[in-house]
Amino acid sequence: MRRAILLWAVACLGLGLGRASADEITLPDGPGRDLVYARCQTCHDLGYLKESSGIPASAWKDILVTMYGFGLRIPDAEKAQIVTYLGTYLGPNPPPAAPAVSTADAAPSLNGGKLFEQNCSACHQKTGKGLPASFPPLAGNSDLFLDRLYPVHVVLNGLTGKIEVGGKTFNGTMPSFAHLDDARLAAILNYVRGAWGNAANAPAGMRPLAAVDVKGLRDQKQTPKEVHGLRASLLK
Amino acid sequence: MMSGRDGEFRFNRRQFGLATSAAGLALSMPGYLRPAFAAGEDSAAVIAGKVSGLIIHNAKLGVMETPLTLLRQHKHTPKEILYSRFHFPHEGEAAWYDTIKAPDFPDWTITIDGLVARPRTVKAADLAGMEQVKRVSVLQCAGNGRAFYAAKQKVAGGQWHNGGMGNIEWEGVPFRPFLEAQKLLVSSGAKWITAHGWDHPATPEGSSFAKSYHIDDPALDNAILALKMNGEPIPAAHGGPVRLIIPGYYGNMNVKQINTILFEAEQSPSVYQSMGYRMPLVPVEPGKFGANDYTLTNSVPTYGHKIKSAIFSPLPEDKPGAGAVEITGVAFNDGRGPITRVEVSSDGGKTWTDAEIEAPESPWAWYHWKAKGTLAKGENTLISRATDSLGRSQPLDGLVWWNPRGYEWNGADHVKVTV
Ligand code: HEC
Ligand code: HEC
Repeated sequence: MRRAILLWAVACLGLGLGRASADEITLPDGPGRDLVYARCQTCHDLGYLKESSGIPASAWKDILVTMYGFGLRIPDAEKAQIVTYLGTYLGPNPPPAAPAVSTADAAPSLNGGKLFEQNCSACHQKTGKGLPASFPPLAGNSDLFLDRLYPVHVVLNGLTGKIEVGGKTFNGTMPSFAHLDDARLAAILNYVRGAWGNAANAPAGMRPLAAVDVKGLRDQKQTPKEVHGLRASLLK
Repeated sequence: MMSGRDGEFRFNRRQFGLATSAAGLALSMPGYLRPAFAAGEDSAAVIAGKVSGLIIHNAKLGVMETPLTLLRQHKHTPKEILYSRFHFPHEGEAAWYDTIKAPDFPDWTITIDGLVARPRTVKAADLAGMEQVKRVSVLQCAGNGRAFYAAKQKVAGGQWHNGGMGNIEWEGVPFRPFLEAQKLLVSSGAKWITAHGWDHPATPEGSSFAKSYHIDDPALDNAILALKMNGEPIPAAHGGPVRLIIPGYYGNMNVKQINTILFEAEQSPSVYQSMGYRMPLVPVEPGKFGANDYTLTNSVPTYGHKIKSAIFSPLPEDKPGAGAVEITGVAFNDGRGPITRVEVSSDGGKTWTDAEIEAPESPWAWYHWKAKGTLAKGENTLISRATDSLGRSQPLDGLVWWNPRGYEWNGADHVKVTV
């Protein structure tokens, strides 16, 4: 057993295919990966992608058609990017060596609205209204202001367990978005706190988030359950 | 080993450690991804009441498989270890079926509608007052054995080995007599019966799960609306409060949490009927027939179990020594004719002996078998191959039925043990 774990750890380090927290499956770094994280965890986790790794690129293309039948709705341009990523990094051949610099471009566009659309809308919807019973609304959600850093904990670590938002119960799993850099996460959360009339709920004097706020929490590494506990304690 | 002590639940941590070691998925993973399987997810944390050590294929959906070292210990597969297969997240409103406890829905109803003059809604509580019958039947995922297709061309989806099955005693109300008693006045235009369960997709654009059977399907003559599994109310994770059980049919055909039965002119448009869970009528080749090339005419739903056998011992985990060995296992089919022969080889198919077959509990149950073999120093390939009274037998090379969604694996079972 020890040997197996060791081998696995080596593979994870080498290829970036492993787990961030106990339940989080991570994929090899490469162009298009973040889109997979954003679009492919709404209906199942990445277990199916991991177990399917090794199929030919044409089969990945077929998968996206199948997913349309299951309800996936994304633009064709995104589909193409995802198919290229999956065919390259989860295809039959070993993936190319990890890029020297991270795939995050040097000077990222920090348009929070666009980043929200790309990364969060598959579940919370473009309108921020979420989906009944499955994904809580972020529009009009006062939890965003539970304290200045609460949403940072959520996006870095994920969240799981029963919660109540606007009198409705949710009991799902939000995956971690720790693969996005500090500046992007701060931009997304500032956008969410200002959009859809949310600004009106902001407590006086709460400063916008900066990249350094995200950086400060990154190494804390909580489980999604621990973030649930944090949420409960802030509500008291 | 196969003591048949039903209900007695035995589990030992060392066994699952071995069963879930890198040996598991390695077969179907490309080399560079191989040990990724050893991820530390705990099945007991995914569905409440499951033991640790089941092989997880998708945690969000609660999809998991039973290591054979556990499966072989029981005559009837206990709920704590039985494989689990959901299509939609067991989260939010669906969190209630995320447990092996019986669901608490005293007001559950089943609506029967469609091309009938008198639609009805029947209370599940009333079912309990009707005549009950028992059906021991193998429950098997249509994707069981999918991983073995990788030897030709890996197919997408959970990479199941042989553990997506169990031998189960179901109990409930006979299906056809129940429908007749409802005096529905079915229209002559009705050609299909469609069963819907309570579960629903994560997003509104998704396709709901439904299964359609031809109205005259003889398999429905043995079907029951089951209320009990292994003598207890059906666990939520396994389809309680009421599950349609069609003995001898693949798992997906046995609709969980059934709440609607429709008489219809056409089969359901659900993608789970029209595209998923289908087999091409003729053998197909990778690259020529893809996952979305299925039509209602070039393929059929995964209805009855193809004849199959599985070796339960010795497994590599048993670390057998050289010399004489007893080889044991199970065989089953769709129940249309008895299993008449199980041929076993312990030398990779050079020589064969006929196994001794135990009478099964029912036509749809596991047939236990045993045969004598010899293990030599080095690697030995054990093979088992079943045949039934209708002359159907397992292909020696299951890859002849390769299909892009990886269903209905029934190749002669091969187990490699190194002495
Ligand atoms: C709207 C819901 C939804 C989204 C979004 C989605 N899937 Fe799926 N996916 C499903 C369903 C439903 C299944 C089948 C689940 C089952 O049978 O257990 C599935 C199964 C799979 C499988 C297993 C093979 C198969 O065909 O069953 C793979 C691989 C997969 N999805 C990949 C992806 C990828 C890649 C993405 C992102 C581009 C994605 N999925 C996004 C709903 C979705
Ligand atoms: C795969 C679906 C999914 C995606 C994508 C997603 N979320 Fe979530 N999110 C959830 C779910 C589900 C919950 C509720 C978890 C629970 O029930 O415990 C949640 C909860 C939250 C919460 C906490 C709400 C509260 O009331 O406490 C915040 C904040 C949040 N998400 C922000 C985001 C942001 C920002 C993004 C994009 C970076 C994002 N989410 C992407 C599914 C998702």
